[in-house]
Amino acid sequence: MNGTTSTGEDNATPLIECRDLTREFRRGEQVIRPLDGLDLELAAGSFVALMGPSGSGKSTLLNLIAGIDRPTRGTLRIGGRDLGRLSGRDLADWRSRQIGYIFQLYNLVPVLTAYENVELPLLLHGLSRGERHRRVSEALARVGLVDRHRHFPRQLSGGQEQRVAIARAIVTDPAILLADEPTGDLDHDSAAAVMDLLTSLHRELGKTLVVVTHDPAVAERAQRTLHLEKGRLVAAAEITR
Amino acid sequence: MIQTFANSSVHSLPLDYALRNLARTPLRTLLALLGSTLVLILLLGTVGFVRGMSASLRGSGGDNIIFLGAGSEESIERSEIPSRAAGVVAASLTGLREVLDQPAVSPEVHAALPIQPAEVEPSDDPPLAVVRGVTPMAFAVHPRVVLLEGRLAESGRDQVIAGRLAAELLGVERLEAGSRLRVGEREVTVTGIFDAPASVMAAEVWMPIADLQVLAQRDSVSCVVAAMPPTAEENPQAAARLLAAAEAFAATRLDLELVAMPERDYYARLEAFFAPIRAMVAAGAVLVGLGGLLGGLSILHAAFSSRIREFATLQVLGFPRRAIVMSMLEESLILHAGSLLAAAAIALVLLDGLSIRFSMGLFGIQIDEIALGAAIAAALLLSMIGIALPAWRCLRAPLPEALREG
Ligand SMILES: Nc1ncnc2c1ncn2[C@@H]1O[C@H](COP(=O)(O)OP(=O)(O)O)[C@@H](O)[C@H]1O
Ligand SMILES: [Mg+2]
Repeated sequence: MNGTTSTGEDNATPLIECRDLTREFRRGEQVIRPLDGLDLELAAGSFVALMGPSGSGKSTLLNLIAGIDRPTRGTLRIGGRDLGRLSGRDLADWRSRQIGYIFQLYNLVPVLTAYENVELPLLLHGLSRGERHRRVSEALARVGLVDRHRHFPRQLSGGQEQRVAIARAIVTDPAILLADEPTGDLDHDSAAAVMDLLTSLHRELGKTLVVVTHDPAVAERAQRTLHLEKGRLVAAAEITR
Repeated sequence: MIQTFANSSVHSLPLDYALRNLARTPLRTLLALLGSTLVLILLLGTVGFVRGMSASLRGSGGDNIIFLGAGSEESIERSEIPSRAAGVVAASLTGLREVLDQPAVSPEVHAALPIQPAEVEPSDDPPLAVVRGVTPMAFAVHPRVVLLEGRLAESGRDQVIAGRLAAELLGVERLEAGSRLRVGEREVTVTGIFDAPASVMAAEVWMPIADLQVLAQRDSVSCVVAAMPPTAEENPQAAARLLAAAEAFAATRLDLELVAMPERDYYARLEAFFAPIRAMVAAGAVLVGLGGLLGGLSILHAAFSSRIREFATLQVLGFPRRAIVMSMLEESLILHAGSLLAAAAIALVLLDGLSIRFSMGLFGIQIDEIALGAAIAAALLLSMIGIALPAWRCLRAPLPEALREG
């Protein structure tokens, strides 16, 4: 699980590049536009916090970057690849290699053990059992759950579940980690532990990390904080550390 | 050591996942299983009923020509022809099967008479059985009939032989040589038990024709059955010629008022006559089955639909929709295979051979390879129907929307 991305802001071409990125939903006559002509560049290896009031389009942007939604207008290039040009099948394949997605409610599969949940994404890559075992063990060790392999999600605390979910997100060694309010459902201590973990993945493995959050303490850790409001970036509120 | 998933083909979900999901909500799974088991049992019972009835009627017709009273082509029991018709047929048609140098021509009286064991009090509503008055020639034209025990009945001594299924018709444990019966008003002794596999004859009572004519107060006979020669099967032209001759004979002997037809045709018509009953049984099964079907399907639908977020998550991880549909199908197939096993076991133990009474006597429900084949096909179909709607519902929604569900 060595970082596959080069670190640092010094990289000339951005990893993620949005141009006039727009997402609209039509409800009868009404057009809802959660994302409205967004221009944005994110460097490889950066740690970005995405803030803004509820309904401002944070999840919509994250879903577009994750390749689980498609823009209505504009382009989205990631690693030089125009996601809009990929077929559904290719997009799913790209997602399984490039993206680690972390949900607010963990979204673990309840009938699978922690180990099996983490192993799941590897089933898409035709690896041997031994190789899968090595990677799953490494990922679970990384999130500090070596002793929880055989536990089912219902046997874990919320914080532990989220760590399993993070192990699942990093097990395929993707370049980009996307987290939508990953601490939104956790108590203070668990939230801090999860954020420590995400920060270390950014620092030590060089993952590009985009975290949607309401929590200033989370944003505090990021190199860059973006504010969305009504689908547009509020330039004045951008913070770079 | 840690258990990893068995190596499955790339892009497919492990079988374990399907299995454990079935165990995830055991009550739900059980209810869905019960629903589809009910549907499959009803299907097996209905197909077994239809096939059992048809087989017993079709099995009752042999390679014979039957002569009936003109105008009574639909019912032997209503038919009346002069007693002398048998002798005239035997003398007029050449090429019939011969038994001991005699043409195999069997005059028969068919009557539906109340029948009871002699030892019970006469009841107001005794079961009716087909009583057939025969001569020894009857055994030549109905080779299916074999004596299982005892001996044939002698004329003038109030003796009968009883079919193997007659006991069931009478509601008694067992009939055997020596049993006493009340046929109509008359007490008779059973001298022998016969079988006639897969034929309505197995539920009949046979007695010497003269005795039945006395009992039924008639001097006519119901029909005359003439056997085709043993070569009829290899030589259909000869059989057709014989039939044509029989029809010409019936048409020219206006004094006898006969019609001639292949015995198989008579029973084929009878089978068609009972088609509405089979349709009603099928319709009843469909109505009850619909309940089980809708119940089972809605439970499956609820079970799968509650997992819409999970299916969306699997897609976010990169699993194609096809993999998810296949896993749903696996689950559904396993569930319905369970239903199929349960239904087949129940049908084979409880329904197979179960006697059903109808106006021709009795027939047995037949859970045979056709009924089981139909159940297998239905189980496959149910597996697919069971996931069609939930799969559509769960996989149609855009991922961001599905991820917000539940
Ligand atoms: N599939 C959809 N159909 C209609 N409206 C949607 C859909 N998805 C999101 N929206 C709307 O877009 C806006 C932004 O949503 P979202 O990106 O989830 O906001 P948040 O910043 O809270 O994550 C909201 O008003 C939401 O109702
Ligand atoms: Mg959101």
